[in-house]
Amino acid sequence: MASKTVVDVKRLSKTYKGCVEPAVDDLSFKVFDKEIFGLLGPNGAGKTTTISTLCSLLKPSSGIIKIDGLELNHHLNRIKMLIGVISQDIALYDKLTAYENLYYFGSLYGIEKKVLAKRIYKLLDRLGLSKNIHVQVCKFSGGMKRRINLLAGLLHEPKLLLLDEPTVGVDVQTRNVIREYLTELRDHGTTMIYSSHMMEDIQLICDRVAIIDHGRLISESSPGDLIAKYSNCNSLEDVFLELTGTKLRD
Amino acid sequence: MRKTIVSVKKESIILLRDIEGILLIFLMPLLLVVIIALLQHRTFQSINESKIPIVVANFDNDSLGHAFTYGIKSSAMFEVTEITTNDKDVLEKARKDVATGKYQIGILIPEGATQIIKNRAIGLIQKQLPITISSTISDSTQTVIQLFFDPITKSSFRNLVKATLTEFAAKTESKIILRAYSKVIDAMTNQSSDIEYPNESIIAFNEDLVSEYTAGIVPNAVQHNVPAWTLFGMFLICIPIAGSIIKERNDGCLAKLKTMPVHFSTIIAGKSFVFVIICMLQAVFIILVGLYLMPVLGLPKLQIYGNWGALFVVSLACSLAATGYGILIGSIAATQIQASTFGSISTVILAAIGGVWIPVIVMPNVMRRISEISPMNWGIQGYYDVFLRNASTVEIMPSVLKLITFYVCCALLSMAFRKYNTSN
Repeated sequence: MASKTVVDVKRLSKTYKGCVEPAVDDLSFKVFDKEIFGLLGPNGAGKTTTISTLCSLLKPSSGIIKIDGLELNHHLNRIKMLIGVISQDIALYDKLTAYENLYYFGSLYGIEKKVLAKRIYKLLDRLGLSKNIHVQVCKFSGGMKRRINLLAGLLHEPKLLLLDEPTVGVDVQTRNVIREYLTELRDHGTTMIYSSHMMEDIQLICDRVAIIDHGRLISESSPGDLIAKYSNCNSLEDVFLELTGTKLRD
Repeated sequence: MRKTIVSVKKESIILLRDIEGILLIFLMPLLLVVIIALLQHRTFQSINESKIPIVVANFDNDSLGHAFTYGIKSSAMFEVTEITTNDKDVLEKARKDVATGKYQIGILIPEGATQIIKNRAIGLIQKQLPITISSTISDSTQTVIQLFFDPITKSSFRNLVKATLTEFAAKTESKIILRAYSKVIDAMTNQSSDIEYPNESIIAFNEDLVSEYTAGIVPNAVQHNVPAWTLFGMFLICIPIAGSIIKERNDGCLAKLKTMPVHFSTIIAGKSFVFVIICMLQAVFIILVGLYLMPVLGLPKLQIYGNWGALFVVSLACSLAATGYGILIGSIAATQIQASTFGSISTVILAAIGGVWIPVIVMPNVMRRISEISPMNWGIQGYYDVFLRNASTVEIMPSVLKLITFYVCCALLSMAFRKYNTSN
C-alpha cells in the first residue's frame, strides 16, 4: 500500500438546504498515493455529494478536506490544478469538435498551446479517437462521448482524479478500454477516487473500497479483504447487498 | 487573458455553427422594424393626407358666404360639400349625415349674414362721421353661424375648426368694414378708389422646430422605429444567451468549469464579448436598413445627424445592457422554457414601458415616470440624442452610464446567484 496521504477527509458532513437528513454524515477516510479508491453505495448514499464537496462544487456543512496536504477551503485554486474531475454527465459542448472541446478545457488550465495540442493528439490516439478528432461531438456515439469526457479531465495531468460513474451507459468494450486506461494511469502515479455502481469495475480496478450508506461509512478495505471478511459472499456485489440490504432505494 | 480569449473563441464557434439561430437574430428585428415603420408611416400619412369631410349650407349668397366657402374650399384640411337650396329636408338630411359620421362638421351660414355685418359697419361709420348712408338696416346685431359636429369629434379638433372659421369670419368682416369706409371717404372726397383688401396676412409666421431637436428634424416612423426595434432585437438576444447558459448548466459544463481554475467572470466575459458583437452587428444591420431599404419601401430615409462615434458608444452600451440581461436570466432561470418565457415577456414589457411601441413623449405622466426604469428607454434616449439632437459623445453619457451600470449589476447578480447555489 502506498504510504503518502493524498486525500484526507475528516468528519465530513453535508446537509442540503431544506433537508433534515444529511446527505453525507460524519464521513472520514483517507486515500493514499497511487491508489484507486472506490466509493460504493446505493442510490442516495452520498457518493456524488462526497465527490462534489471534494472538487469544490459544493460547500461542506462541516468537516475538513485536505488534498495533497492542502486544506480545500484555503487553497482552492492550487487544489483545482491538482485535481481532475470526470462527472457522470457528459460535460462537453456538442457543437464543438473533439479537439476544440479538449483544447478549450485544457487552455483553462493554462497549458501551453503546443504542449496542449500534442497532449490532445496523444490522448485521443490512446483511446481510439484519433480518426474523429475534428468531428463535432454531437455526431459521436455515447461511448465516444464518454471517452472524450474522460480525457477532458486528464489534459493537465492531475495528481488526483475524481471519477463519478465514468462508465455509465457504455458498452462492454468501452468500459474495458476505460478500465485499462485508468489502471495504466494509476501505474504512472495518478491517485483516483472512483465512484460507481458497477461492482465489476470496482472489484477489478480499485485497491481499496469504501461502502457508504445514508451518508455514513459502513466498511472500508480492499475488495479481496471485504469478500474474505464475509464468508457467505463470493463477490463484491454479495458484500454490498449484505451490508446495505436488498430494500429498494429512491 | 488567454482564458478569456479561448472562452470567446469557444462561444463564437458554437454560435457560428447555429446558422438558423443567427438568421433569426437578424431577421426578426428586420421584419419588426420594416412592418412597424410601414404601418405607422401609412397611418400618419393617411391622417395628414385625407381631408375632413364637411357640409356647408350657404344661404347668405353674399360676401361672407362666398368668402367663407372659398376659404374653406381652399384650405387643405377640408373636403367640402355645398348646399345652396334652403330646403328644410335637405338641411335635415345634412344634419343626419353629420350625426352618422358621413360628415364630421356641418356649417350653416344664414341668409343675410353679410348684410348684418354691413349694417354694423354703417352704424359705426354714422356714429363717427356726419354722414347718412342709405341702407336697409335690419334689427339684428349678430350673425349666428351654426356648426354641427359629429359626436365622436374631439373637443380639441372642434376648437381648431372654430378658430379657423372665426378667422375666415373676422377677415370677411374686416373687408366689409374697409369697403364701407372706403365708400364714405370716396363720397366725401368726390373720388373713386377701388381698394382691395389684401388677401395675405400682414403677420407671417416662421415655424422653427427648436424644441429639443435639431432644426428641421422631427422623429418620424423611421427615426423612431429604427432605434426602437434595434433595441428590442438586442434585448431579445437574452433568450439565446440564457439558453446557452442553461444548456451549459444542464450538460454539466458549468459544473466542470467550476472545478477548473477559471473564474465565472471569465465565462461571462467570453459570452458578453461574442453577444455584444452580435448586438452591434444587429444595430449596424438595422441602421443600414433604415438608410437604404426604407426609402425603397417608400418610407423616409433614416437621418443620422449625430456623430458616428457617439452612435458607436450608445450602441455598445445598449449591447452590453442587453447581454447582461440575458446572462442574468440564464443564471436565474432553471429551465429553457422558463428562460424563453420570462425573457420574451419581460422584453416586451420593458419595450412597452421603455417607449419602443409608443414614444415616451406621447405617454401619460405616470407611464413617463415608469418608463425611466426601463433600460430600453435609456437606450432610445441615447439614440434620439444621436439621431435627432446632434449630441456629442459626452452628452450621451447619462444614458450610456445607466446602460453600463445595468450590465455590471446583471453580471454581479449572476455571479452572486452562482455563489449562492454552491453554498446550498
